[in-house]
Amino acid sequence: MKAPQMAIEQKMLSNGLRVVIAPDSVAPVVTVGVYYKIGFRLEPQGRSGFAHLFEHMMFQGSANAPKMEHIKLINSSGGVLNGSTMYDVTNYYEAVPSNALGRVLWLEADRMRTLKVDDENLSNQRDVVKEEVRVNVLNQPYGGFPWLDMPPVAFRNWANAHNYYGDFADLDAATLADVQAFFKTYYLPNNAVLLILGDVKPEEGFSLAEKYFADIPAGPKPPFADPAEPGQTEERRGHVEEKFGTLPAIAIGYVLPPRRSPEWCAMGLLDQALHGGRAGRIHRNLVLEKQIAVETEGGVDDIFGYNGPAQMTTKILHKPEISADATVAAFDAVIQEIQEKGITTDELEQLKIKWRSDYYAMLEGGRDGYMPKYGLMHLLACFSLFDGEPELVNTILDGFLRVTPEQVQAAAKKYLRQENRAIVFRAPANLAATSSESKKEAA
Amino acid sequence: MATSPAQTPNMVPALSAERPVNWPKRVKSKLANGLEIVVVESHSIPRFHGQLFFRSGEAAVSDRAPGLAEMTATMVRTGTAKRASRQIEEDLRRLGADLSSSAGQDTSAISFGGLSEFAEPLLALVNELAREASFPEAEFERERRQKLEEVKLKRTEPGFLAGERLRKVLYGDHPYAKVSASETEVAAYKIADLQTVYREAYTPANGALLLVGDVEPKAILASVEKIFASWSGKKPAAPASAAPAKPRGRRVYLVHVPGAVQTQILCGCHSITRRHPDWVKLGLTNSLYGGAFNSRLVMNIREAKGYTYSPRSSVNALQQHGYFSVSAAVRNDVVAASLTEIFYEIDKLRSLPVPEAELADARNYLTGVFSMGLATQDGLLSQIGTVALNELPDDYLETYRDKVRALTPADLQETAQKYFDSANMQIVLVGDRSKIETQATLFGDLEIYDAQGNRLP
Repeated sequence: MKAPQMAIEQKMLSNGLRVVIAPDSVAPVVTVGVYYKIGFRLEPQGRSGFAHLFEHMMFQGSANAPKMEHIKLINSSGGVLNGSTMYDVTNYYEAVPSNALGRVLWLEADRMRTLKVDDENLSNQRDVVKEEVRVNVLNQPYGGFPWLDMPPVAFRNWANAHNYYGDFADLDAATLADVQAFFKTYYLPNNAVLLILGDVKPEEGFSLAEKYFADIPAGPKPPFADPAEPGQTEERRGHVEEKFGTLPAIAIGYVLPPRRSPEWCAMGLLDQALHGGRAGRIHRNLVLEKQIAVETEGGVDDIFGYNGPAQMTTKILHKPEISADATVAAFDAVIQEIQEKGITTDELEQLKIKWRSDYYAMLEGGRDGYMPKYGLMHLLACFSLFDGEPELVNTILDGFLRVTPEQVQAAAKKYLRQENRAIVFRAPANLAATSSESKKEAA
Repeated sequence: MATSPAQTPNMVPALSAERPVNWPKRVKSKLANGLEIVVVESHSIPRFHGQLFFRSGEAAVSDRAPGLAEMTATMVRTGTAKRASRQIEEDLRRLGADLSSSAGQDTSAISFGGLSEFAEPLLALVNELAREASFPEAEFERERRQKLEEVKLKRTEPGFLAGERLRKVLYGDHPYAKVSASETEVAAYKIADLQTVYREAYTPANGALLLVGDVEPKAILASVEKIFASWSGKKPAAPASAAPAKPRGRRVYLVHVPGAVQTQILCGCHSITRRHPDWVKLGLTNSLYGGAFNSRLVMNIREAKGYTYSPRSSVNALQQHGYFSVSAAVRNDVVAASLTEIFYEIDKLRSLPVPEAELADARNYLTGVFSMGLATQDGLLSQIGTVALNELPDDYLETYRDKVRALTPADLQETAQKYFDSANMQIVLVGDRSKIETQATLFGDLEIYDAQGNRLP
């Protein structure tokens, strides 16, 4: 079975903006994305949550599209839009009927050139972001678990270890001057990639990109904080109180091999062996067989989309009558088994078929039932910004399909070690007694 | 000084000529046993998506126990006459497939997707789940325990608590009033009851099989015939439920969650089903009010006032009686202010015609996002699923956009007057009563409940 090959064309504008076009004629819909190589890892110290707050500001007004105009123009063209902030990138994207392509590019160019916002906009979006944090984290059972709980326990470099959604005091301290400085430093054509996917003729796409983006001045190469972590020599543990939920929760995260290192592909398949749905070893063992856990999920979140330290994280909700110690011990037994016995050729074959199927689904699929081609856009953007090679989208799969059982076992031995992991215990306040070991290690 | 925004529209690139929207052919068929089949080709990637749904869900069995249809669906994937649970899960992986089984108020469904090279074995597995589920005792005990924890956990989610209370208020004695079983009810589930639901609901005469993706209709229909033709079973009798009474007058229902740092608002009133002639009008009216990012509600309470992150309104298309709802999770000190704006925007739509330009924008939005269903296999599946479930006319997809484009300001005003029943909207607030009770009383008689559903003094 030959893997589908995506048609890709690319061009670098004179200001350093890479333009990647992936045309097809499935539907009269075009998806546009602009990715900037700046995420919450690199936001300034004392300004936790700023990269995300800033993302909101990008919808608040540019030189020729004042507040509300950007959103209104996309929606009234028949399209949808959004943005999101990740560890190492921030994206802005639209899917529109293809007759609106010129308009979308004009809007993205307008806000790449000039951000025109005021204190009232900042105060408004600060309020909106606080409600976002409340609805997703502070007022929800297991809110932010483990994506906000894990970094301060697992990492020592502030870039990796701080609160990405932001402490409210830091959000309050953010000023309009911060907004403009951040924009000037990172929101440069030479620190971004423009993606156009779907119903577009490449020559038309390049010509529109040239027309709207080419005269945006490049800037000095942005400074990048080094996200490297000091060596870890022992397991790290931390505790967080669960305010609403009824079950004790545990998250166990192992630091991954560096992106595109020899062990990276093996780790991807090892992750699937452990976390791939109900057939995954962790779910099968802890939920179906031993029935220690009520639910387990997790794994590597977005293996292609990070460019610094990242983890494979297992999330476990366990029965209150089982202790945290016993739960971790049962988890460890699963890890130990794969380290000692490895996996069979048959299991690896199953994993590769599923991996291939999931990869194809990503090439085509949307996000949350909207935004066609979000997956392909994201892959092309990350391969452009991190690897300088969007074509990887057509070859990256091969490395995963070549992994051997021996490599999976070797990755398990090398990376699934206690001194390469961190554990967060999040127990409901009224169940604290069941988490016996809690006392000794408040991190 | 800022340049005047009034100058900007001239610079905005005009839309170029619209490219044609061509919905792919739906190949329809029906087996002798009554199973309806719809196949749509989409060769963007070598995968396909499918759904086998049955026209019976919780409402059909609510006289027995709430949640019984969902528990039955959960058990369907845990074992068959031929395969144990572990085998099912590993076989799915071997086919590069995902599968889920679930039930809602009106349907039970097995949804799946996988590599097209394994379409036939995946259909064979789906067939086994639909016909030969074995309801293993040990799996049942495990799933029931999980369900118990799940129903407990749901009572800690503000969104769930709000939805549950609104349904109770709007639907009274109708089956739609119950969205979840209690712990006691889950503990009382019996395998025999699930098997009865399975026998009654999972029949070919009660079902439809939808397949979208990289498949060739003739070949896949031959596979379907081979796999499903020997299945038999009649359509179950649908129990009749009396129409729910419309609540009169605004009332406020506060679900008290001590320590909540935000308030979940959910307001609602009865509306219509998808088969109703006013459906398209209501869809556009909702979109303009609070369905889109660029809607009046979002622009008001998010972009102008900063009260909330994700306010939205929606029309909930249940099969027997639909409802309209508005939701927003807001700062505790602006609950009254948010409700005031929610009702202000409703009343404005009821009182004043929508300006032509704003209406044109809303029409474009709705017709544009409708066509996006074309772009992905699961988008297509969702559109043809809507048509099949609601037994809409064959040309529904092709004519929808024209129907939206024909709507006028008068249509919207009339629709808002009919279905945005401002005076009789029921208001649910999930939050800490000590922070919001005085604000709540401004909007109607107040009833207070705890998260378990007990009335508080």
